[in-house]
Parts: sequence; structure tokens; C-alpha cells
Amino acid sequence: MFGFVARRLLYLVPVLVAVSLLTFLIASLLPGDLAYVILGDQATPDKVAALRHDMGLDQPIWWRYLSWLGHVLEGDFGRSFRTGQTVLQAVSERLPVSLELMFLAELGALAIGIPLAIACAVRSGSAFDRFMTGSAFSMLSMPAFLSAILLIYLFAVELRWLPATGYVPFEEDPIGNLRCFVLPALTLALGEWPVLMRVLRSDMIATLQEDYIAMARAKGLKPSRILLVHALKPSSLTLVTVTGINIGRLIGGTVIVESVFALPGIGRLLLGAIYTRDLVILQGVVLFVACGYVLMNFIVDMLYAVLDPRIRHGHA
Amino acid sequence: MTVAIRARKPAQIFFATVFGVALFAAPANAQKQGGSITVGLELDIPGFDPLKVGVFDTSAETAAAAIFDTLTTLDDKGEPQPKLALSWTHSDDFKTWTFKLRPGVKFQDGTPFNAAAVKANFDRQKDPANKCRCAFYISFINDVQAPDELTLVYNLKDPSVNLPAILTLQSSNNVVQSPTAWQTKGDDYNRNPVGTGPYILKSWTAGDRMVLERNPDYWNKGHPHLDRIVLKPLPDAQSRFASLQSGEADIVWDDEADADSIQKAQTDPKLTVHSYAGSGASVYAFNTKVAPFDDVRVRQAVVMAIDRKKMSQALTNGMSRPATNPYGDGSWVKCTDDGALPNDIEKAKALIKDYGKPVDFKMIVTATPRGRTVGQILQQFWKNIGANMEIEQIDQASVVPRAFMRQFQLTPWRIVDLADPDPQMYANFHTGSPVALANYSNPELDALLEHARTTADTGKRIEDYCAVSRLINKEAIWFWTFQNTYYALSSARLKGLPKIYGGVIDVSDVWLE
Repeated sequence: MFGFVARRLLYLVPVLVAVSLLTFLIASLLPGDLAYVILGDQATPDKVAALRHDMGLDQPIWWRYLSWLGHVLEGDFGRSFRTGQTVLQAVSERLPVSLELMFLAELGALAIGIPLAIACAVRSGSAFDRFMTGSAFSMLSMPAFLSAILLIYLFAVELRWLPATGYVPFEEDPIGNLRCFVLPALTLALGEWPVLMRVLRSDMIATLQEDYIAMARAKGLKPSRILLVHALKPSSLTLVTVTGINIGRLIGGTVIVESVFALPGIGRLLLGAIYTRDLVILQGVVLFVACGYVLMNFIVDMLYAVLDPRIRHGHA
Repeated sequence: MTVAIRARKPAQIFFATVFGVALFAAPANAQKQGGSITVGLELDIPGFDPLKVGVFDTSAETAAAAIFDTLTTLDDKGEPQPKLALSWTHSDDFKTWTFKLRPGVKFQDGTPFNAAAVKANFDRQKDPANKCRCAFYISFINDVQAPDELTLVYNLKDPSVNLPAILTLQSSNNVVQSPTAWQTKGDDYNRNPVGTGPYILKSWTAGDRMVLERNPDYWNKGHPHLDRIVLKPLPDAQSRFASLQSGEADIVWDDEADADSIQKAQTDPKLTVHSYAGSGASVYAFNTKVAPFDDVRVRQAVVMAIDRKKMSQALTNGMSRPATNPYGDGSWVKCTDDGALPNDIEKAKALIKDYGKPVDFKMIVTATPRGRTVGQILQQFWKNIGANMEIEQIDQASVVPRAFMRQFQLTPWRIVDLADPDPQMYANFHTGSPVALANYSNPELDALLEHARTTADTGKRIEDYCAVSRLINKEAIWFWTFQNTYYALSSARLKGLPKIYGGVIDVSDVWLE
């Protein structure tokens, strides 16, 4: 097991180097010179040249990458030129919001997706199954900004049950905190559950045709026990993968959802950095998100090993 | 839209006449004390230290209006009135201005407010070593002197007949910050600002909320009225309006691009639409040194092809107010003849025909939904007269450098709402200015601009500026599409909001009914 973990960790190194390089290139190759952005309407050529020199923008790109990477390895991700905040400060202020949002969204998606998947798998081919599969497909094609606005109009403007926008810190008011996350998490969950449901449904249908399930039925075990204990675990391998990958997608989803619901998370930080050309923050956040994604995949790999002993024992 | 407003006018006059007497009889001090409001702004505020953020955007200016004071303030008629300064005088050439300051005022950290504090603010921004982006906007001021505790002298490089009005905007240049605070807090000062204003910053969560509480020692006794103001960035226009409807926000920023919400709010008795028809306009500059715009006929034809009414209908359900000069309804410059070219397709076609060569050109538009739509509409207008425009979408931040380097044929620009036309008109049209984008030089135009900035008599200045407008319209070196209109939508209970000068929603003296 230790060897397996160590090997997986080693694979991460080249991936992270590639991620950092791509991050840097994307940020550097964006149109619009940073010096012009900072100087705005007073970008005279001599001022631009002086600022480019100060910021090291006149150095070759590979040199800028290496020096940035060097600073990153020392834990210095740089400072926003707009606010003077360090990237670490900005990210750590906003990370809890996004993590809570993603956690609740994923929880919501699983809570909707798993029971529906089991129900569909049991009655596969029935009218209920066809209806759910169909509606899952239509939910999947609904963009987050649309479902967000619809939810706001229904629950905040018409019914007034939940706030339309805003954030309440957990330590200030735990109930208020959960209330402000209901609609954003639901918006994200609405886009996620169909995927989880469809994946689990098809795996489950296959599992239910296995001999050992027939055996369990023959032994006279309760159907609910067969479904939840004997069939769910072996069917959930793809579900775990998809859930892991979904977390990456969710980070993308948070950009939209956090803007619509005015939540102060990583997504908003990223969007603000793009609008204001705050490249230092942009690079830092993208690198951070990419690392999170890679790490998530690593955890999924580890979970495989837990779920399926064959992987753990070196057949992978 | 226009029709609806016109229809309402007679009713307003009727009510004003009938109940006017009753209104005057009501007690003058109807403002209620206490309560709290939430303000929905468009953008995250990056901070308040001019050395860090350079210039404030309008969201930051809304907060700055509550935390800080300026020397002067604009009244409802657009005239400068005392705030931190009590009175002012000027030299005959308008190059020296002397302000007498209000005694007994203290910053929120206890530092005394005096002439030395204002001078320290100015010197810090002006110091070349600090490389403040804000320095550009005070380049017309040579230095500020503090001969005694409460006397402040501005020595200007260029004359300014309207300096007290120009100092009213709550910009990073004009708000007075506590020198002790920035010296002791260092890097942290940016997010922990200290002023003399009616509200004190209590807490600030990045990207979420800024909580301001009543300054109990505010120099203006009886003010402010509210106990607390919460400022929140609500970036999405639709959910911002939904927050107002659901009562989570009491007042929100808005603009014409969100015409649906504004029109909905106009019919909602629980909401009030505050709008201010400001000066300035959305404008476009031709590069007159590059073909085909080196020929005045082509420029005139292109301008004559624009049907602003149709354009307004397509862009904002007709809410945008067409502009025929760079000053706008909010400016004190009113022209009986501004020389605007008519919308005349036939004449435009004739001018193009007279020019005799095919008219093909590129126009810069910002890569935003609004920019693209504007580009497409103009493209259609110009197709009608046989001119072929190619849209070049570029990033908003790149428009400025392209304009500065004159790498364009036609570029969008903006004249913002300022208390006096001089700073922008001089910069945009005087020969040799970096933002004289049209690359156009005319001694007559220069003379008019120079005369207008050194003349005190408003009537004479209006004559000058109207002559400037006629000249620019005739030569068609720039054109204007729509005037600036600024919007705030609020709960009907919120009272006392002043005009949205410069696009700044100043909630520092509002109250709840």
C-alpha cells in the first residue's frame, strides 16, 4: 500500500510542473500588456517602459517563468498590484466559502442522484426509469446562470424563504450561513446530479445481473439489503471517479454561481482578477485550483484502492 | 419610455402646485434618525490607499463619500458649497486659490484635521518617488501650501476658474485621509482607511461586505442619520435587482444596459428610481491622419448616417438619451446651436459619392456584449450609405493603449460627468494633448479652449464651448452617441439621496422613512 501511494505521488510531480507552466503561459499570453493595464489612461511610452522594467516584463518569458516558479517554491505567490494583498492571503480568505459551496453542492447532487439511480436501476426500462432518464438529460442541458435566476425568483423574490444574494460567515450565524448556501448549492447540484444518477444507474443495472446477486436473492435476503449492501458498493467505482472529476467541474461552476449569488469565494476572485487584469492573482488562483484538481484525482485513485482490492495489490 | 416620462410631467406640476403650500408648511427637519441600509454595488472595492489603488472606481467612491470628506460639495444646482473648506478666494488669473478650512474637525483616529494634513495628502500623491497613478489627475496643480493651521493655498500650473467644483468628486485625489493612519498602518492602511467622514469603517470581508458605522463625533451635528451602512458587491445585474425586490438591499447601482430592471422598478410603488442626467457622453474619435477619415466629407457622412433614436431603441428600450454635443443636459453649458449634423442618409450618400473612392475602415469595439451590439448597429447604419465597416473587437484594457498610440481609424471613448467641462475638453481637443485622439490641430479651436479656461464669466464660457461644439461637429473629428445617465434603484423608504454626480451614489446623508 505504501509503495502504491508513493508511486502515485511521484506521478504528480511532472503533472504539477506542466500545470504551473501552462498557468504561467496562459496568464502571460493574454492580450493587453500589464503595464498598460496598470497605467490606464496615462500610458505614455516612457512610463510604460519604466514600469515594464520595474516589473521585470522586459525579461525573456522563460526567465520570468523560472523566477516566478522559484518564488512559488519558496511559498511566495506574489502580490496583487491592485490591492497589495498576497495571493495566499486572498486565496485563504475566500477558500472556505468555495469549499463549503462545493461540498454542499456535491452532497446535494449525491442526495438526489443516488436514490434516483437505485430506483431507476431496480425498475430499469419502466415508465419511471424512462421519465427520470429523460428529465436528467434536460436538467443536464440547463445552464447554471439560468437555473440560478429561476431559483432566485421563486425562492427569494416570490416566496421570500431564502436570501437572493449575500454571504453570512458560519461563526457569525450558522443557520444564516446554511440559508445563504441553499440556493447556490442547489443550482450547482441541479447540474451535477443527472451525471451521477446516469452513471450509477447503468453500473447498478449491470451489477444486479451478476450471479452473486441472484445467489443473495435465492438466500432470501431482504431486497433493500441486497441493493444497499451487496450491489451499491461494487457499482460505485465509476460514481467515485465521476464525483472526483465533477469537483473540478464544480470549481468552474462556482465562478458563475458565486457571481450571481454574490458569494465571496475563489470563483469571484478569479473572475475579478480576469476583469481587472490582476495577472498575479490570476496565475496564483489558477495554479491553486489546478493543484486542487490534481490532488482530487489523486484522492480518487486512493479511494479506488479502498473500494477494489485488486487495484491495491498491484494489478493497476 | 420618453412618452411615459412626458405624460407624468403635467401630473408632477399639478401635485407640486396643489400641495406645494402643504410641503412648505411641513417641519424642515423630517429626517428620521437611526436604522441601517444595505447598498448593492457593482464591483469589489480594492482599497482606499491612492498609492496602492491609484484611482477609485464609482463603487469605491460610494464608500469614500461615507468614510471621508472633501473640501467642497456640489449642491442640487451644481454649485460648490463648503464642506471641510468654509470659504475660498482666487487670484485674478485663476492660478492661485486660497481656502479657509473648517476649525475643530478631527479625523476618526483623533488626528486633528488642518491645512498640513491636506498638504500631506497632496504631497504624497504628487511625489514622483511614489509613482502614484493618481498623480496624473493633479498634474495641473503645481503645489499646495499651508501658511497657517487653517489656510490652504493651491498654486496651479494651468488656470482653473472652477476649482472648488472640481474638488467635489469623491475621488482618490480629493478625499482627505488621515496622515497618521497611513503612516502607522503601512501596508494595512489600504483596507483600513481613516477619514473625517460621517461613517467609520467597522469591518470589511473581502469580496463580501463592508460595514460602516455612524461617526458619533462627526463635525456636522445632527448628521449622519443612519446608524449603519453595509456595502456589498453584487456583480450580477439580475440578482442585484432581485436582492432589492426581496428587501435584502435597500439601494442598488444600475445602468441603462439593465433597462428591463429600471423599467420594472418605475412601475413598482415600493421602489424609487433615482436617475441623474449627467454631463458628458459616450463618444467616438476618428483618426483624421489616416484614410478614409483624413477627408472631412467621409467623416461627416459617417456621422450623418447614425440614427440615434433607433440605436437607443435597440440598445436600451429607448432609455439612452441621444447626444448632439459633448456637454449633455447635466452640464451648465447649454447651446442654442451646437452645430449637430442631421441624420440624413441621402446627404451622406452624396458626400460619399463626392469622395469618389470606396470607404472601407475598421472600428475598435470593446469585446463585451454591449460593445459588440453597438458595433453591429453602427455597421448597419454605415452599410446604408455604402460605407464598409469592419468590427475589430479588442479587450477593454487594450483600447486605451491603442488610442494613445493612435493605432486606430475609429475608436470608442468616454467623457465622464465632471462639474466643469474644461479638464476633459482641453485634454481631448487641444493640440498636443496625449488624448487629443483625432490627431487634429486647429488654431481656432485651441484659442477657444484657452479662452474658456481663463474666463470667469459663465455666459462667455458658454459661448466659447458652444463655438467649440459647432467647430467639432462641423469638422466631424469626434462624434457623440448618447449622454451619460446614472441610475440607482432604491426602496421607496430611502430618502435624501443627492444627485448621482459623476456616477457616485452618495448615501452618506440618506435616511429611512
